[in-house]
Amino acid sequence: MKRLLLALASVAALWTAACGGGGGTTVLPPPTGKFSLSSLMGTYSFVTNGEVITSTAATSFALARAGSFTANGQGGITAGVEDVNSSGVTTLAVQITGGSYTVNADGRGTLTLNLGSGGSINFGLVLTSTSGGLMIDETFNSTQASTGSGNFTLQTGGPFTVASAAGSYVFDFSGLDGSGNPDSIVGEFAANAGVVNTGVQDENDNGNIPATPTPVSFTGVLAQDALDPNGPADLGTFGRGVASLNGINYVFYIVSSNRLRFLSTSNGEMLVGDAVAQNNTIPANVAALNSGFSFIVSGTSGNGGIVRIGRFTATGATVSNVLVDTNDAGKFTPTNSGTSTSIALDPVNPGRGTVTFKDPNLSVPFTFVFYLSSATNGVIQDVTQSTTNGATDVADGAIGGQTGSPFASSNITGTYAMNWSGLSIQAGVADEEDFVGQATVSNLAFTTGAADIFEFQSIFLNNTGAQTDNALTGSILLNGGNGTGSDGKRSTMAVTLTKNGQATTVNFVVYFVSPQLAYFANTSTSSTRIVAGVLEAQP
Amino acid sequence: MKLTIRKVAVSLMFAGALAFCLSAAAQQTASSATQQLQSYDQSREVSLVGTVVKYDPASSVAPVGAHVLIQSGSGQVDVHLGNSKVLQASHLELNAGDSVRIIGENLAAGNGTIFAARIVQKGTQAVAVRSSKGFPLTPASSLSQNQKEALGGVR
Repeated sequence: MKRLLLALASVAALWTAACGGGGGTTVLPPPTGKFSLSSLMGTYSFVTNGEVITSTAATSFALARAGSFTANGQGGITAGVEDVNSSGVTTLAVQITGGSYTVNADGRGTLTLNLGSGGSINFGLVLTSTSGGLMIDETFNSTQASTGSGNFTLQTGGPFTVASAAGSYVFDFSGLDGSGNPDSIVGEFAANAGVVNTGVQDENDNGNIPATPTPVSFTGVLAQDALDPNGPADLGTFGRGVASLNGINYVFYIVSSNRLRFLSTSNGEMLVGDAVAQNNTIPANVAALNSGFSFIVSGTSGNGGIVRIGRFTATGATVSNVLVDTNDAGKFTPTNSGTSTSIALDPVNPGRGTVTFKDPNLSVPFTFVFYLSSATNGVIQDVTQSTTNGATDVADGAIGGQTGSPFASSNITGTYAMNWSGLSIQAGVADEEDFVGQATVSNLAFTTGAADIFEFQSIFLNNTGAQTDNALTGSILLNGGNGTGSDGKRSTMAVTLTKNGQATTVNFVVYFVSPQLAYFANTSTSSTRIVAGVLEAQP
Repeated sequence: MKLTIRKVAVSLMFAGALAFCLSAAAQQTASSATQQLQSYDQSREVSLVGTVVKYDPASSVAPVGAHVLIQSGSGQVDVHLGNSKVLQASHLELNAGDSVRIIGENLAAGNGTIFAARIVQKGTQAVAVRSSKGFPLTPASSLSQNQKEALGGVR
């Protein structure tokens, strides 16, 4: 979580303490699937968001990285560049001079990027296609250990220029403001030859939001980075440039004309996120809404990390079939229905809207602002007003129209990539946890699979490490419903990880967007975590 | 990071229907059948002075995170400190027997309340653990120059 989600032994000791089961050694079956080294070929833009501890630090700090690397299809990395923002302290345009990677048949693999400044950074990954995948930072050396979850996406349409970013984009930037407070910015802007004239945004900075969600206009620019030591080549080859949006400076990477990714570089802020092209299918008015929507937001409440995950049906201006699950710093609250519901689209700013519904057992209604990039997909920000003063939390995430239902064993089948991130408490230590894995689903059971899990332990640098190659089994339970939750029945998921004979099961609630994509978050039966993630089908 | 502690009324305060009582019993009591979605408000802050009974940097009891049990003049109070890394980064250790002063307020947490700390003071050192709006801070909020230099080397 968010980020979501941001806080705090030896990995072997932790695993032993957390798990039950007997002894023995786990031997993973040989991975099977369609992937090989040649599945990772081309230039990919990547981003991760997590934590870092250095050899001289008393504790760990928030870390985000964005960059680009070129894979040769044969296990080699030939070039690249990355930018780092560690709690507002930036290191920019670090050249990637080489490296290596592996890809197993199941799409899982490793990635090592050698840096021109010396040293290397390491990742565990799983491909969702030859166009990209999910990854976690697994860097662990004598000077720093870092973790974080993210993804990598094949860059297309190069060589890039500033004008490659053209048209309207919907964005979600989240992280920390310059004082270390939680910050979330969602909005949209139009770019034309590097000029951003028509941007609007909704910001929740440290809980400061207007009583009624009101977008703020802004302007900006996108440009080549004149200070980049690699000159214009980094823009042309890797899509790297600099931007100023509403007074905040960023580096950006052009993934394609349809996606840009941003990392802030000014004011001591640490904001990271993507901007996705807005197409002409966005609904013109609220009457055009006719879909079930799944959503997930993660961030920070007054109690700590928070995740809200759920779904609703929008039929014109009518909102029905509301389900929400909230994990507020370990306090789990299910919302089984919504009253006083409403949804509206902004007549001035295309794709922007608000949705509200009230849990009868809660004192105030949930309110969210969303920006749609298509008829059904977009970004969403929690702007729920507290009973007293400001927002209840600072959280944002994704919203997706549900398609392909009913979800059942007939269409939720095949191989899936999986990633989760958040906070885990193990053996008296609380710290970030990142997970990346792959599993085969058959008859709604994870029949085979494997995963890396990094339970970051930042008290001591030398005790930080990743658990690689855990066996993964488990199940998806649609609970007799159709999987959308429109019948009031939540779907759940259990993931059992086994390493060296020790097994542990993490339980989730899961909301499907389609048979190819689901959002999930852990439930009260796995109360030592505040984690959330995605399940994404492989081809 | 040392902060200047602003004067806060020590007397118990009331705001709306929420009574701010610094007793452990009060924390266990449900505020109402309808759960509050309440945020932090500095106008309701109180100052809690007492002795550390127990410090847990990673409690799994909601709200998860760092908790410290304080023996105050009106009983024992379970205080939620948020992210223990903030105290670590500021080299502020809490041990049984330490005399501390905590500025914070009772917040709704589920069906009960929790005393949420915003500032923790031990001796002359005070550390902000929550933002002005009551959100738990991360170590990024109190970076020293040495820490900034160390993070400048992160790749």
